[in-house]
Amino acid sequence: MSSLSALENVHAKGQFGDSEGKDDKNLLSISETTNLLIVQIVQYKSSNSSLDNMQVDGLNLRDNPSLVNFNDNTRILWNGPRNWILVSKKKDILNEIEQKFNDNEFAITDISHSKAIIEIEGKEAKEVLKKGCPFNFGELEKNQSLNSTYNGMSVTIDMLNDDPDKYRIFGLRSFGESLYHSITDASLEFGYIAK
Amino acid sequence: MLHIKCPHCGIRSQNEFSYGGDATVKRPELNKEVTDQEWDNFVYNRVSPRGKHLELWQHLSGCRQWIKVERDTATHEIFNTYKANEEIA
Repeated sequence: MSSLSALENVHAKGQFGDSEGKDDKNLLSISETTNLLIVQIVQYKSSNSSLDNMQVDGLNLRDNPSLVNFNDNTRILWNGPRNWILVSKKKDILNEIEQKFNDNEFAITDISHSKAIIEIEGKEAKEVLKKGCPFNFGELEKNQSLNSTYNGMSVTIDMLNDDPDKYRIFGLRSFGESLYHSITDASLEFGYIAK
Repeated sequence: MLHIKCPHCGIRSQNEFSYGGDATVKRPELNKEVTDQEWDNFVYNRVSPRGKHLELWQHLSGCRQWIKVERDTATHEIFNTYKANEEIA
């Protein structure tokens, strides 16, 4: 059995939009990211466990809004009070999480297959996001994340880099194709390369 | 469009929130005998005040938390927001 990515039917490689006569380096780049482990970690209200000693892949869970704790392989996004989304290239981390976090105090859910992930990179990337998302992107910095909506669809946006801007956008897999259409449609005026 | 200050996330657009009704309604105490009128008041009957009103909103597309919002129903001015479990003097 082969697995199909969330954007298998819509993501076509090539150059689109107003890209004629522009240097490829200055164009937006849009790609689909697959093969990431995505785990939601929720600490129950009744839990009294201190988070200070709880580490995953050497990273702490911090209850600070918008903060992303990260290393080369793993990023832990704040998703709400006592609620985090862990995104990692290392799939075997799931075992580590299940061993470290007690069932009676934490809910661990593997949501790797329920998300569509779009990465957008380029100096106009922020403008593309502004077109569909009501968040004030002027205050978003590198290694911060947020939950919001893009054209009415719930999304999580993680800012990976700021030189040039690079964002990872997580949407529900069921909305993946609509989200991809919205993002690429908003990118047409700048011209983009789908990788 | 309103901008609502979520006590967890900060100022966000109303688009991210969902209205959840009157936050002043109190559920009758558990196991207490209640009259039909008291139950009706809890389940159905609502006042529709003009002016300051305490409302429940959920930050549905943000941190998913329920919050209380003190809003003027006539001008839409928002005076304060609170966490759902916060006691308000």
